[in-house]
Amino acid sequence: MFDILIKNGTVVDGTGAKGRAADVAVKDGKIAAIGHIDGAAKTVIDAKGRVVAPGFIDPHTHFDVQILWDGAAKPALEHGVTTIVPGNCSLSLAPLKESGRKAVIGMFQQIEEMPPEAFTEEFAKWTWEDFAGYRAAIEPGLDINVAPLVGHSLIRFWVMGAESQERAANQAEIAEMKELLRESLKAGAVGMSTSYIDMDDKGRPVPSRFAPLSELDAMCEVLGEFGRILQVVPEFYDADLTIARVDQLAELSLKHNIPTTLSPVFDSPVTPHVAPRILARVEEQFARGARVWPQVQTRPVDISFSFLRPSLYFARLPTWWRTLKQPLEQRRASLKDPAVIEALLKEADTNLMTQAMGGLVIRGGDNAPAAYVGRKLADVAAERGESNPQALINISLEGDLDVAFGNMNVGHNSPERIGPMLASKHVHIGASDGGAHLTSFATYGDTGFLFSDYVRKTKHLTLEEAVKKITADTADIWGLKDRGRVQEGLAADLVVFDPETIARGEEKPVFDMPGDGMRYTRGSVGIDTVVVNGAVAYANGKYQDARTGKVCV
Amino acid sequence: MEDEAVIVGADITAGHDGAAELVLKVRYQNGVVSPVVLDPETAVALMDACGVASIDKLAGHAWRKVLEEA
Repeated sequence: MFDILIKNGTVVDGTGAKGRAADVAVKDGKIAAIGHIDGAAKTVIDAKGRVVAPGFIDPHTHFDVQILWDGAAKPALEHGVTTIVPGNCSLSLAPLKESGRKAVIGMFQQIEEMPPEAFTEEFAKWTWEDFAGYRAAIEPGLDINVAPLVGHSLIRFWVMGAESQERAANQAEIAEMKELLRESLKAGAVGMSTSYIDMDDKGRPVPSRFAPLSELDAMCEVLGEFGRILQVVPEFYDADLTIARVDQLAELSLKHNIPTTLSPVFDSPVTPHVAPRILARVEEQFARGARVWPQVQTRPVDISFSFLRPSLYFARLPTWWRTLKQPLEQRRASLKDPAVIEALLKEADTNLMTQAMGGLVIRGGDNAPAAYVGRKLADVAAERGESNPQALINISLEGDLDVAFGNMNVGHNSPERIGPMLASKHVHIGASDGGAHLTSFATYGDTGFLFSDYVRKTKHLTLEEAVKKITADTADIWGLKDRGRVQEGLAADLVVFDPETIARGEEKPVFDMPGDGMRYTRGSVGIDTVVVNGAVAYANGKYQDARTGKVCV
Repeated sequence: MEDEAVIVGADITAGHDGAAELVLKVRYQNGVVSPVVLDPETAVALMDACGVASIDKLAGHAWRKVLEEA
């Protein structure tokens, strides 16, 4: 008897092959059979009209902390993601000595916007220092698979302490770092991450930024012993610097025979040359035999702001700029001053911003009125009988300035430009940043957006190509040999979805983080069932607490 | 031809982390115009150094102002 039998679906197996009518049987955590199957099963799922695909793999996340209390990495699992890669951007939760925890908590707060209560209320008892200990801490509670990176900053910090943020390592320290990386890889790390841009909570560069190329080369020698991947955050805002990093990564890839990946690469209407130049260089390096995978995200990027701090959104309006740049108390007072308000409204009017502000979305923030969240400012303003700028000011004041607004989809927003990038054989779809930027925007549902916008709407990818991109291709790049395909004998990570409706849900603020902290999240649309290692982990809108996730390499 | 690099244009873009960022067009001594992206903190400091309250007033200022304090 099978454990699960998924009948009557269209199997899109991750290889890019055309979908075909077939049943899929699961037993003992593996895919047992594919085809016309009549055998009995403990659970039978009718997938008529649905696609049965390999579980999606998200290669760029920061769920390191969240998976200590939420083994499903919500809402990743409900979007059909069955494997996540945390530990990106040089930052993991191991190896980490007890004495270094405070400093690393600061890095997580700065880079991921993780509230400090997460480190005291939700897992007050740190049970680990080394990578094996971290694995042991997370694995029993996993509903989703985890392929964790070990952070270069953590390795440096373990060996060099505070001096890891001051200087290059000496030969003895590099030797110790190499051994620590070796231990971490043996304990289940899928590779190592490093960063050239990230800062800690005190505004200092993270430890990995003090490593010269010779140190990174030494670490890649160890990655080469295991054939594991190097993930890098380059100076992505600058085309020339990023291209230089692409060249460095290509040399490391060729020398040590390792895959490398850089993230993010994104497109902007005001710097339209950046992404195409980077991708052109990547193609040249692939032609040399190097493996340098640029991660391109599917979702557009927004500008988010509140009146709590000055935003360049107002940097074309001198009166607004001067007013909002004042110290907080003066800013509050000015926003209540009738003369100032009159000047602000007049300036918005004469600069055609009154109408533009109506397109803002009231996003969230700790004090955003629930009745307004997710709505266009123009609609709310009309309801209040105010002009758009008046409503912007008054809603902010009513929320003690802690109300966030979004100018949505203003970057990485051209399907004609991004579609071909996503379809390129040299582009790795990723860079979701799931589990990070918690209080700025929702980093979930990029897979649904891929299908809704780039398969159904613009048709830059076929259904089969899109599935391949986020399953088999990702598994191959990351060396996840047991996953990414619907194939007999492989791990039974499966997603059953409606190809006509799969999408990302609306962004919404929720207060489910430790200490009642807020984060933005998104539900899924069109996902029926998610199977992780042979057990139903999500079905009919409910998490099943299956606890069958694994640390997988 | 100027004898130093000069800002010749400015625009706002969305950054990776949701913040608005400043994109400058800088014309260098050899005549080449190239974009430079500044994070919000650096952009605010540059506007202060140039004594402007609108990015549309940045054109004509020396690029070296990015290193100066107001």
